[in-house]
Amino acid sequence: MTRESVPEPSLSGFDLVAAGPGQGREQSAPATAAENVAPGNPSVTALREHFAEAVFRNRICAGDEDVVYVDPERITDILGWLHDDAEQHYDHLADVTAVDYGGGRPLEVVYQLWSIPHRAALRVKCELPLDGLAIDSVTGIWAGANWLEREVYDLFGIHFNGHPDLRRILMPDNYAEGHPLRKDFPLRGRFSRAEQTRRALTQDPEDYYVPGEIAERVPQVVEGAAGTGAEGGGAGGDDV
Amino acid sequence: MGLDKPGILGSGTPTFLTTRLDFVVNWARRNSLWPMPFGTACCAIEMMASAASNYDLARFGMERMSFSPRQADVLICAGRVPYKLAPVLRRIWDQMMQPKWCISMGACASSGGVFDVYSMVQGIDTIVPVDVYIPGCPPRPEGLIYGLMMVQEKIRGESLANHAALRAEDPLAAGRPRAGDEEVSDLTGPFGNSTQQNRVSGLVETDAIGRGEDRLP
Amino acid sequence: MSDAVDYVARRNPEMGPDGTPVPSPIEPFEVEEPELGSNTMLVNVGPQHPATHGVLRLVVELDGETVVSVVPRLGYLHSSFEKLGEYRTWNQIVTLTDRMDYLAPLIYNCAYVMAVEKLMGIEVTDRCRVARVICMEMDRIFSHLLWLGTWSIDVGAFTPFLYAFQQREKVYKLHEALTGARITTSATRIGGMMADLPEGWAHGVREFADNLPATLDEIDSLLTCNAIHVGRTQGIGAISAEEAVNYGLTGANLRASGVPYDVRKDRPYYEYESYDFEVPIGCHGDCYDRYLVRMEEMRQSVHILHQALDRLPDGPMDVEDPRISLPSKTDCMSDMESMIHHFKLITEGIPAPAEDCWFSVEGSKGELGMYVVGDGGPKPVRWRIRPPSFVNLSAIPKLAEGHLMADLIMINASLDIVLGEIDR
Repeated sequence: MTRESVPEPSLSGFDLVAAGPGQGREQSAPATAAENVAPGNPSVTALREHFAEAVFRNRICAGDEDVVYVDPERITDILGWLHDDAEQHYDHLADVTAVDYGGGRPLEVVYQLWSIPHRAALRVKCELPLDGLAIDSVTGIWAGANWLEREVYDLFGIHFNGHPDLRRILMPDNYAEGHPLRKDFPLRGRFSRAEQTRRALTQDPEDYYVPGEIAERVPQVVEGAAGTGAEGGGAGGDDV
Repeated sequence: MGLDKPGILGSGTPTFLTTRLDFVVNWARRNSLWPMPFGTACCAIEMMASAASNYDLARFGMERMSFSPRQADVLICAGRVPYKLAPVLRRIWDQMMQPKWCISMGACASSGGVFDVYSMVQGIDTIVPVDVYIPGCPPRPEGLIYGLMMVQEKIRGESLANHAALRAEDPLAAGRPRAGDEEVSDLTGPFGNSTQQNRVSGLVETDAIGRGEDRLP
Repeated sequence: MSDAVDYVARRNPEMGPDGTPVPSPIEPFEVEEPELGSNTMLVNVGPQHPATHGVLRLVVELDGETVVSVVPRLGYLHSSFEKLGEYRTWNQIVTLTDRMDYLAPLIYNCAYVMAVEKLMGIEVTDRCRVARVICMEMDRIFSHLLWLGTWSIDVGAFTPFLYAFQQREKVYKLHEALTGARITTSATRIGGMMADLPEGWAHGVREFADNLPATLDEIDSLLTCNAIHVGRTQGIGAISAEEAVNYGLTGANLRASGVPYDVRKDRPYYEYESYDFEVPIGCHGDCYDRYLVRMEEMRQSVHILHQALDRLPDGPMDVEDPRISLPSKTDCMSDMESMIHHFKLITEGIPAPAEDCWFSVEGSKGELGMYVVGDGGPKPVRWRIRPPSFVNLSAIPKLAEGHLMADLIMINASLDIVLGEIDR
């Protein structure tokens, strides 16, 4: 590739170097998204009308993406309404995930919605304080949320009340090091490699290959919102 | 076969009969290696490409991919192996009949590769003994074929006279790590700058913790 | 209740007004002779099994040969990409993306940098946009060819596998000419590509696009009307449109059920709206329709490839901003400013605003979403992949219920999964 002369119309190279990364850049994207601005998506206005006190704030991210922060207590009402209401009709749940910002800040559960008939996207977020990592499951609205919520439970330790089958999905059943995508979880895990290897080989590949698991597929209701005390229902503890 | 026992065919030293027998047995073994393709990730795709028409592993007597470990001779571990898969790999190795060989295909199987993370085995040689390591991410089909030829070369040098020494494997070792704790620590020790990586991006303070206090005592 | 009635009832559950199946009044797996105990049998498929396309594990409960339930077990390839990404700078993550879906690496490379570019507000050059379209369509074919090969092996035909791999070798060579690697391409960078297209590369892609339809016709003639193939796939693993949407299916699996949702059409990126192509849809939502949809998608991709090659403009590949793109090696060695830019870019990385951004493209397996969260620094707070085959696979207990064990293999093959991306 040939780029013999780099045209830099407005900035001298040394100015840039002196300014440091991100300083001299033209702000094509705002550094912090505008809060409570007029949304581009009419669903946000409709949500504010229907669930006035449950919609905390909204912002526009990355230029054109509408984000709504809602009350985690009413998540199934809000998402159910967004799914069922003919005007909204968000029938495709693209993604359920969570974000841990670290520093003791609350974890965010992120629902990425898409309406196939209306071709509209909406991101709904709930903030969960670290001592109350529980939220209602939306598997009753979208069957596709099942594994996505299991994954969030596995990697973040967020309980989904009313989930039909809340078990670890990616990590081994006997995994005891915690929830890996939390910011306080070290990249290489908590145990030494020797201990990890030993533990890995003590897993019996057949230990859950028993009829009981399929027979006992009763809905496992995890007691909600009881903070870290609700750990008993799942596999593995947070604190090792 | 008892050829290594003193008094039957000499005293453990190679004789005319054992060397000729070695030649025939090794010739047969090395030209009909049945691979057990333990393919997990990217390397498995290259392994499939090796078996397809352009590279054609069948030229090396590997026409038959043996998906059952009990009829396989060489375990090709192609791809990354997480800890969750480790007991499966070990069990497959235990299920294979002697004589058996193992190829660790690709950087992830050999050393963990870029995945110096909580879920990944840092080299399958902590789990099973490995005969040939093939570098690459993933290795080209030529690389895999060269690795298989090295296994063939290795077989050429084997002798029935020291069979027991070559194939020594403690039956009680089944299902256990191949390496002891210290060796695992040695083999999986961090290298390069992977552990210098810090999640803190520099502008916003988070509580990402330093490398020093990562591990529990 | 006879087995035949039960089989039909399970295959065609009646739909209620809201699209969900009305529970069948038949309770076929009630233990009729309690003194015999349970009459179902458990079969473990995988994680090391040739028909699971990787290290997927399915625990299957069988009544005779009929599948009562399937419990998929995942995580046997969990490589913690998302955690590792938090420790890498934005550009370093590109290397991880192609190890996630090694069947269509360039789509993942492109999707990731497109998300980051949207987050950072970078507009790439026209040449880069068209080049990425070429890359993505080429890899859509690349991935579908591997699916076609393994699909045909699962159905019992070996020849299409060899035909498909002959064509795949051509894409391998194009990958290699573009990036130096056959699978792990890592071809994209934020603001452009790793390098400009090599000389003659576009011609090579055109040659590949010209020759592919002949191979597809050959495979078509081997499979499409083949009695065994038809018998093993028609009516197998059917799912209605409403259920498919509810389960979050995307890609060919959703379109086979008759929902024309294609991100290229519904949320166009890179001027896809200006390309002339059709989105094939099926009407039965069974394995056979998924096969037909994918076959037609390859032909449409060939069509797009031709158009993109025709409009490939000259000009620079990377954005001409020294804070985003690396300067050329010649400049680095001769020009002080360029060398400093190079040093700063490599050591510090490119900062991203403290925002989040969701961007999805039509991957070869379905809707591939990238969710990136920045904190103002050169590393992400969170890098999340919306894995299409993960969500597609979650419907397999529903799809396989009531079918035969052999059909389960075809259903699994028809979903076109890749384990590297399911387990991440």
